[in-house]
Amino acid sequence: MLRFIVRRLLQLIPTLLGLSILLFVWLQRLPGGPENALLPDNAPPEQREALRESLGLDEPFTVQYFSFLGRILQGDLGASIHTGRPVLEEFLTRFPATFELAVTAIVIAVAAGLPLGYLAARRRGGALDFAAVGGSLLGICTPVFFLAFLLKVGLAEQLGLFPSAFRLSPAVNRTDITGFFVLDGLMTREWDVVWDALLHLALPGLALASIPLAVITRMTRASVLEVMGEDYVRTANAKGLHRTTVRTRHVLRNALLPVVTAVGLLSGQLFAGAVLTESVFAFPGIGSFIYEATHGRDYPVLTGFILLIAAMYVVINLLVDISYSLLDPRVRAQ
Amino acid sequence: MFTKPSRKPLGLLAAAASLVLVASACAESDRDASGTDEGEPFIFAGAGEITSLDPFLANDGETFRYARQVIEPLLDHESGGTEIVGGLAEDWEQSEDGTEWTFHLREDVVFHDGDELDAEAVCANYDRWYNLTGEFQNANNSYYWQAIFGGFAENENDSMPESRYAGCEAVDETTAVIEVTEYSSVLPGGFSLASFGILSPSTLEAIEDEEITGGDGDFTLPDYTSDASVIAGTGPFSVEEWDQDQNSVTMERFDDYHGEPAGFQTMILRAIPDENARLQALEAGDIHGYDLVAPADVGQLEESGFQVPTRDVFNVLYLAYQQESHEALADIEVREALSHAVNRQRIVDTILPEGSEVATQFHPDTLDGWSEDVRTIDHDPDKAREMLADAGHEDLEVEFCYPAEVTRPYMPAPRDIFDVIVDDLQEAGVSVQETSYEWTEYTSQTENGNCSLYLLGWTGDYNDAYNFIGTWFSSHNDAWGMDNQDLFDDMSEVSSNPDEAERVAGYQDLNEQVMEELPGLPLSSSPPSIAFAPEVDPPNVSPLTQEIFAEASWK
Repeated sequence: MLRFIVRRLLQLIPTLLGLSILLFVWLQRLPGGPENALLPDNAPPEQREALRESLGLDEPFTVQYFSFLGRILQGDLGASIHTGRPVLEEFLTRFPATFELAVTAIVIAVAAGLPLGYLAARRRGGALDFAAVGGSLLGICTPVFFLAFLLKVGLAEQLGLFPSAFRLSPAVNRTDITGFFVLDGLMTREWDVVWDALLHLALPGLALASIPLAVITRMTRASVLEVMGEDYVRTANAKGLHRTTVRTRHVLRNALLPVVTAVGLLSGQLFAGAVLTESVFAFPGIGSFIYEATHGRDYPVLTGFILLIAAMYVVINLLVDISYSLLDPRVRAQ
Repeated sequence: MFTKPSRKPLGLLAAAASLVLVASACAESDRDASGTDEGEPFIFAGAGEITSLDPFLANDGETFRYARQVIEPLLDHESGGTEIVGGLAEDWEQSEDGTEWTFHLREDVVFHDGDELDAEAVCANYDRWYNLTGEFQNANNSYYWQAIFGGFAENENDSMPESRYAGCEAVDETTAVIEVTEYSSVLPGGFSLASFGILSPSTLEAIEDEEITGGDGDFTLPDYTSDASVIAGTGPFSVEEWDQDQNSVTMERFDDYHGEPAGFQTMILRAIPDENARLQALEAGDIHGYDLVAPADVGQLEESGFQVPTRDVFNVLYLAYQQESHEALADIEVREALSHAVNRQRIVDTILPEGSEVATQFHPDTLDGWSEDVRTIDHDPDKAREMLADAGHEDLEVEFCYPAEVTRPYMPAPRDIFDVIVDDLQEAGVSVQETSYEWTEYTSQTENGNCSLYLLGWTGDYNDAYNFIGTWFSSHNDAWGMDNQDLFDDMSEVSSNPDEAERVAGYQDLNEQVMEELPGLPLSSSPPSIAFAPEVDPPNVSPLTQEIFAEASWK
């Protein structure tokens, strides 16, 4: 297992190297430059040029790339052109928000998607099955930003059930320990913080969960249907095993294998998907920061954040593979 | 075998949903109960995050919005207007040649940290800026110093001009004299910029050794620029916290403020970049006001009981004709024809917010130097067609650029404005090749002269015409491709005349000259809208978008 983990982690190196080259080529091709976002609209051309020079943007591509690579090897991702703070610090400041949001989304997706998919498979052709299949199709087809907008208008503006923006109400005082508001609230027993943070997570979490929820529901349904038709399930039933045992040990456990893989992949994608959701809900996470960095041509932030997200994606997939082996003894045996 | 479906999952779901609804209702009632309490924080949303607690290093409106509440400069603008009035200096005078500026400071002014304001403190701030070195001299970290005073004591870049700042002397406790090497029309307006807010002596001492670290395009701002405990100004609010986790700056009322105390105990500035998200946050009660309201939302907000006070205009939007990018545009007759083709009144009436007006010259009428005698250009498509035919360009085809996915205070709906103009040009027989760029590329393309026609504008920093026309028409540049040396010489002469009356008359003449040359067509001056919740008694709204929120309170 250790060799497997080390091998997978070593695969990170060529992955990130390739990605960094792609990113640099993309940024070179991206029209406009940060000097246009940083300086006032009527700043003279000489000042714009001086700023480009001071940012090293007048250097050839290779010089810029190897300078970047050299810094990366020393563990330095550079500093944001816009805020002047280290990229890693900016990432760590915003990571808890996006992580909480992604966890909320995946919890909603799994908590609702698994039982829905399972029940739909068990009652194939029934009303619940029809609703689950139709609903999941709708979930996949509806653009996240549109759903986010609908949720906001309906549940926040019209009904006032949830806040429409931010991570916490200003009236709520929190003790900052980890930057994860829910966790901090639990650790300090500030229940108002926990509750307020959860309310702020609800709508963006629900919007972000829409696609994973749909995927998980459909995958669970398909997987359960497939497993229910397997010989060993028929054998287990014929043996007279208790219905719950058959359903949990034989059907659900085997049906979950592809679903776990999907959950892992979807979790990684949530960090990228958070860009639009966070912007709609003014949720100050890494997604909204990337959105602003793209508009401001903040190259260090774009490269640093995307590389860090890619690294996280690989690690999440590694965790998925490990969990896969725990669920499926055949994988362990290999 | 038929098995009765279990009701448990549905029951659990129903119970969970009920719990969420009940709990949400509790939260909602909490929100309703607050709002107009005396101690309830006033929350205002801007379009972006601030970049530094020290406004000297910034050049963006959001940082200046925060700074205006906390750190005061020597001069200010009248509340709700553009006239320069005393700030920390009660009054001031300039020497005849405009190189010596004497400021008489207010008495009994204290900083948030308890230090007292005196002339030494003023000079310490100006001398600090003048003596900055290293990356502080980067255009992005001292933009306004360079715009007003040129260079530093020791320039580290050969292309930087020599500094106009010659020194500051504390004549007595309340009199500071700032000397400059030559007069420039950027003064006294420059003394009113938020960048030049006066920090306390203790703050200066604490940040004395702070440097911008890094190099080769990798600069890290010093820690004090995000540490609220270090920053002390004299404003009606003191800054308590910059929570970067939440993009918010919290300010508390300063009870020893030298003027009227702030109406709110606590004020929070938050960043909501998305225009719709700002609107929805106000409607949902999550904020109490926001800036840069889309014109299309003004009616909806007012109908719902929100307040959208109208600012006086202090900006201009123009349609530029780049004379070197298209042979026809070098011909004044073609530029005139295009100008006659555009129906500016239609843009003002249908797209821009209430209070907008057609611009007759390249700066708003609220600015000294605006001339009543500039030539007027009426909307006349027939005349436009005729003039194009006379100039031999009846089949004129021209590229027209506009910025996508952006709004500017002077240009709230670029695509809509673009569409109206394209429609007008087509009516005059002009074929338009549409090009759009995302903002950062747009400014680059227009600045490099790659767009024949384009939309751009400017919101003034202070009341001086040079801040508008001087930045565009003082020398040949690629953005306009205009080559009129007489005009450039006149601009230089007028802007360096220390006599205010003569200078204003000179600007009037320059405005008339510019409109004869017609490098572009001034389209409109429009007030960027600002909105407040019904329970807020709003501050005087400022044409410079420099509202002092201490003037606001709960109703």
